[in-house]
Formats: sequence, structure tokens, C-alpha cells
Amino acid sequence: MAGLIARTKQVGIALADWMEERTGIVSLTQTFLYEPVPKKGKWLYTLGSATLFLITLQFLTGILLLFYYVPTADNAWDSIYYIMHDAYFGQYIRGIHFWSANVLLLVIGLHMMRTFLSGSYKAPREMNWVVGVFLILIVTILAFSGYALRWDQEGFWAWEVGAKIASYTPFIGSWAIITLLGGDTAGPATLSRVFALHVWLLPAVLAPLVGVHLYLLRKHGEYGAPFEYAERLTELRKQQQIRAYNDLEEDESSQEE
Amino acid sequence: MPEELQKDPLTRGQFLWMGALGTFVGAALTIPPAIFVLDPAIKDVVQGQSDVMGGWKVLGSIFDVPPAKVVTQLVEFTQKQTYDAGQPGVVGTGANMRPLTNAVLLSWKDGKVPRVLPGREEKRPLKPAEINEIGRELNVMANACAHMGCPTRWSEEEKEIVCPCHGGIYDINGEHIGGPPPHGLWRYVFRINEDGDIFVEHKFHVKSSNATRPYVI
Repeated sequence: MAGLIARTKQVGIALADWMEERTGIVSLTQTFLYEPVPKKGKWLYTLGSATLFLITLQFLTGILLLFYYVPTADNAWDSIYYIMHDAYFGQYIRGIHFWSANVLLLVIGLHMMRTFLSGSYKAPREMNWVVGVFLILIVTILAFSGYALRWDQEGFWAWEVGAKIASYTPFIGSWAIITLLGGDTAGPATLSRVFALHVWLLPAVLAPLVGVHLYLLRKHGEYGAPFEYAERLTELRKQQQIRAYNDLEEDESSQEE
Repeated sequence: MPEELQKDPLTRGQFLWMGALGTFVGAALTIPPAIFVLDPAIKDVVQGQSDVMGGWKVLGSIFDVPPAKVVTQLVEFTQKQTYDAGQPGVVGTGANMRPLTNAVLLSWKDGKVPRVLPGREEKRPLKPAEINEIGRELNVMANACAHMGCPTRWSEEEKEIVCPCHGGIYDINGEHIGGPPPHGLWRYVFRINEDGDIFVEHKFHVKSSNATRPYVI
């Protein structure tokens, strides 16, 4: 029995080595999975991963909902009613999409708060903060347009109110509201626009920006991670030594005079 | 020397040509999609077109407007959004056009029935002078709140027109008396015929000069 386990382990290692040599899969997995985080804060540094998980969940359940959702003013509400009452696991899939969207906004808020309170937005990580701000903006519009896609009284009027708010923009108010409504009155074009935004345009912008956000995180690492403290401390000691040495030299030269 | 550091020497002429070509290609790639998306706004703001077909619609009779309260009447206009681009064989049939339902609030000025109406028989045609007087006394208002467009309704208990969204309040004449709306309710362009029928167009005017447009209705 012991021999069998040992042999299986050997074969496993050999297989992993074979794959590693040809695809780099093992080192890639390590690169993607592990990121040192500061001791202080610990679990708070998983909020970004939680956000990524929830966004992935949104993509997956969203694609599934598209199998039944009908983006027309006449049938949108009925198609959701069908998902909720007739389709097997319809409530489950839509429930995940709905609740994870709600939790997503909460988790993004917490993630942003953690970043702010731990000072992780400071140099050289400013651009990651900026990308993050665009991401939260996109997610907010996604949440709002998803609300409108239900095409029930709540969702419909929320979109109307949002569009009316846009109409108060100085100079381009009427351009903004008509572009959001797809006409000078709300109608079928409104839902088409909301659908195009929610399902195609915004996710297409969101996905690459998430990539940039992650790339920048990997480039700079988490602020305050142990290795960074060590590096900064070494640098600090080196500078202190140089200063002390210079002071000493100055003292000696003044004594010689 | 800086010239030696330049990997890819470029003459001034080449540089300008590249700039011109870049501008052209950039414009060709971005302008058509932008105009495509902005199409409804261009048609409305620049060309002054509306999604809603013109024409008068019957709203009801002045004899059905009661004193001291506001009643809601539904009216259907025709909306040609998205579906109708005037395809041959379909034009004019209305088969692929959508009804746009508006809820119209009707009331008498200050809730008082005009003095020409009480005791009058409905059969007798109205005189032009009477029609003018009735027209001045009749409020034909859009139920869309002037603030964010939410549907308002008459509250019998409060004797006010109230908005459910942000608490806009209007009096029986649709004048703004409370909450965030910037002005009173929009008023439809309407006319009354000699039988006392009210006709409306999908056009609005308001008394105040800083009035916005309703859009959502």
C-alpha cells in the first residue's frame, strides 16, 4: 500500500514536471495564486479577490440568463417571469445574479475603503486607484442598467429618473437624455439601449480594465507587504549610515583646522 | 547627439503625412459609430423630429370633468420608435407601430365648474365664445412629475396632486406648491369642439419661462 502511494506520488510529480517544462503551468499557477500581503490586515486583503469572484459570477449567470431573456419592451418582463416561475433552477440562477450584484457593490465599497485606509493608493500605485475608480463607475452603471432590464415599474422608473437627472447636465442635457432613452420619449428603443449597455458595451470595457487592475497589482505588489518593509528599512539604514559617516568626516576635518 | 539616438529617422514631410493619415483613419473609425449611437439625439435636437406621430386624439368630454377634483384620462398616441422606418407596404397601416399611452390629468381651474356649464343640455352645441371661456378654465396636464418624470396622481385626502418618487406636490391647477419640482406640471396643447369633446396633441407648454421638456412621456 505504501509503495502504491509513493509510486502515484512519483508519477504525479513526473507529470507536473512534464507539463511545467512544456507549458509553465505550475509556475504560472503559483504566480497567479500567491501574493504576499501584510501581516496587519490579513483577511482584509482578500476583498479584491472577493470582488473578482463576484464579477466572474455575474458574467457566468448573466450568460445563462441570456438563454431566456427577451430584450423587447413587449416581452422583457414576461421572459423574466418565465425564468422565475417556469424554468428549472431559474430562481437559483437569477437569484445568484441579483444577490451577487448587490453584494458586489458592498464588497467593492469595502475593498475601496481598505485601499484608502491602508494608504495603498500612494505612489507608485496611483494608477491602480484610478483604474479602480473607473471600475466602480462601470459596475454602478451595470447595476443600474440591470435594474432597468427587468422592465417592471421599479426598474423602468429608476431608468427614467436616471435619464432625467442626466437631462440637467449643462449644455448637453438634451443630448444626454435622448441618447439614454433612444428617443424623445421612453419606448422600445430605450430597452434596446439599456440591453446593449448592460450586456455588451460595459462588460466589454470592464473585462480588460480588470486585467489592467490585476496587472498593476502584480507589478507593484500589496503596499506594506513584509518584503517591502524590509527593503525600505535596509534603504533607511543605509542612508543613516552615510549621514553618520559624513557627519564624522565633517567633525574630523573641523578638528584638523 | 539627439539625432544619433533617433532610431527611426523621419523627415518633416513624412511626419506630417503620418499625422494626416492618422487623423483620417481615426475619424473614419470613430465618427460613424458615434453618430450611429447618437442618431435619436441628432434627429431630435438638430432636426427637431419627434418619435410621436402628430395629430389630435380624443381625450373625453368636458361634461365628465367633475368639480373640486382631478380625474385621470388615458390617451394613446402613436410612437414610431425603432420599429417603424417607413417600410413599403406597412406605412400607414400602423401594424408595426406602438401605442404610447399618456395619463392626462383633468380639472377645472380652482375646482370650479365654468358658469356656462351647469344646467346646460349636452346635446346643444357650444358657441365659440363659450368654448373659449371653458378652454381658459380647463386644466389639461401631463401626469409626469416636472422633477424626474414619475407618474403623479390626485390625492383625495390631501386635495393635492402628489408624486410618489421624491414628494413633489402640486395644487388642483398643477401649479408647484412643494417638493423638488422646478415648475408646475406640463400642459397639453388641446382644443374643445362644439360637442364638448376634448382633443389633445403630444405637445406641451408651461407657464414659467425656465420650463424643461418632459421627455419621458
